[in-house]
Amino acid sequence: MGMIILGLRNLLRNKVRLVLVAILIGVPFFLLLAMYSIGDAMQRQTTVLNENVNTVLQLRGRGSMGHVNMVGQDRLLPQDTLEKVRGIEHVRQAEPYLLAMAPITPPNFVMHVGLAPGAVKRLESHGEAGNPRIIAGRDFMPEDAGQDVAIIGQGYAEWAGIRPEDVGKATLTIDPTRTHPAIFGMDRPTRELRIIGMYASGYIFGDLQLFMPVETFRSIYGIDQGISWLFVNVDNVENVPVVAQRLQEAVGDVADILVPESAAVFTATTSQRVTQLTSVGGILAVALMVIVVFFVLLMIVRERAREIGTLKAIGASNGGVTTQFLTEAVALTLLGGALGLLLFRGIGEIVTGRLFALSIGPFLPSHYRPLFESLAINSNLSASTLALVIAVAVLAAVIGSAYGVWQAVKLSPLEAMKHE
Amino acid sequence: MNKLLIDNLVVELRSVSKSYRKGSETVDAVAGIELTIQERGMVAIVGPSGSGKSTLLHMIGAMDRPTRGEVLVAGQAVNRLSSGELTRFRRQTVGFVFQTFNLIPNLTALENVALPMEFNGVSASERSVRAKTLLERFQLGHRLKHRPRELSGGEMQRVAIARAVANQPRLVLADEPTGNLDSRSGQIIYELLQEVSRERTVIVVTHSEELARLADRVIHIRDGHLVDGPNSGHKVVSVTP
Repeated sequence: MGMIILGLRNLLRNKVRLVLVAILIGVPFFLLLAMYSIGDAMQRQTTVLNENVNTVLQLRGRGSMGHVNMVGQDRLLPQDTLEKVRGIEHVRQAEPYLLAMAPITPPNFVMHVGLAPGAVKRLESHGEAGNPRIIAGRDFMPEDAGQDVAIIGQGYAEWAGIRPEDVGKATLTIDPTRTHPAIFGMDRPTRELRIIGMYASGYIFGDLQLFMPVETFRSIYGIDQGISWLFVNVDNVENVPVVAQRLQEAVGDVADILVPESAAVFTATTSQRVTQLTSVGGILAVALMVIVVFFVLLMIVRERAREIGTLKAIGASNGGVTTQFLTEAVALTLLGGALGLLLFRGIGEIVTGRLFALSIGPFLPSHYRPLFESLAINSNLSASTLALVIAVAVLAAVIGSAYGVWQAVKLSPLEAMKHE
Repeated sequence: MNKLLIDNLVVELRSVSKSYRKGSETVDAVAGIELTIQERGMVAIVGPSGSGKSTLLHMIGAMDRPTRGEVLVAGQAVNRLSSGELTRFRRQTVGFVFQTFNLIPNLTALENVALPMEFNGVSASERSVRAKTLLERFQLGHRLKHRPRELSGGEMQRVAIARAVANQPRLVLADEPTGNLDSRSGQIIYELLQEVSRERTVIVVTHSEELARLADRVIHIRDGHLVDGPNSGHKVVSVTP
């Protein structure tokens, strides 16, 4: 039968307690998995951000956000900045953007972006990077230049009542006269744009943008000259400081230059903070498991003192007693782990988002807080997740049961002689 | 003592004392005991409560160590055994029968009897056969798969005796084996212990006059001392040359 089997059979001696302990261990396991998945999602997010910003410098009008209708922030880069920048060595590509804000009911405003049809569609609220993918319709083609067409984010589309199946037929009216405390009206006629595509980015704010050809933008908002943002793609990350220096010399008097290093450092800092917080959360969850195992084992050893004495009196070795209780502890934590996994599989995505909002959101820089609504939590059970659960279960069982097992080993066979 | 008696010794206590601290006082549970017990037969240790009879049994079974003196069981000085040697001693040399039966509640009667054999390294098939044979011999063939809670007190104690003899020890130690049983069940247990004592030494601590009467030898203990000296209560008939 073996002490391992005896330990496993002992689990079923008190079924109510087994369920209760499985829940008590399962909940911290769920928390651990939630923290792990938040860390993992954040890591993926940071990778995407870094991939997009590492060699890209951003230029804006000096002291301005560069939005054509934003109160006090509407100074644009001069149009000749583009030519100056393209002339600098190591600049692989320069992509001009034009941006305007449009008021909507909460969350307050959306962003209209004019860009060349082949340019990268960057998301304004996430380190000026992103990873939008077309989920309905199509992307821009060269022949869309100057046409009244647009690609809409799914958040914006939802607000406008446009469904993915409407793409291709639906239109959206752009009204530059509309105002908001941060937006001034522009005396321009409305224009209807045909929605040819819909994108999703994984970010709630990232999904509140509308991309249109830059000529169409100029025509709608009456901006003949000027650039809101100019993204400068450097041929190699090592050349970024040199290009930054040249840009400073060429257009430093009219432009603020955002070097990717600062953006990367910023994302890294945020990611680091989230990693630290999830690590602390994970450690607390494991500590909770250890505490539960500690008290359960102590209770079991006290309850079964006479039985342990009997086992020793009939020839069980200290190693055998240790094996029996350790098996019971590991089985308990594995059961709790399985319950935690099931919970995570069932409600992980919903709860983790909320958990992130409550536990980590407050510690993030303000404009990163929308992340908690949009973080792409992955509740799939990968091999690494299963390995994590097993490793943590064994670790918590060994640490948590150490004192209880020691107490059991220390018991004398004389305990068997005690009468109740 | 004649030579044959010495050769047949299974238990020998030499000036054994056991003291406990009780506050600032030292209490002698047993003091300067000299005792020899031969192979085979039933020995009853009787005495009033607190006389030291259980302490004596615990020291013979290596559950407790004497403060002074030496305890020899089957030629081994048990108070000098290491932890590993003690475990082996409990597996091979002694079997215990407890007043409260102390069966493992989630194991069947058969598994309870097989457990000491498993500790002793007996193969699964052999221990199953031996455990079954023992239980059948003790009239429990119909209870093999029953758990302790499904057995009567007398049946539990019979399983416990089968477990105690499973590894064929030279010595069986029983602490008030009928203390929790009615008289009818107690009678069956007396007879069973008597049967067991034909093949090995059975030492029983008891308050029961009836069980003491069935014993081959009765040792009286009072205030930690043997009443009649080291060979007290010998019935020479059990060890005739």
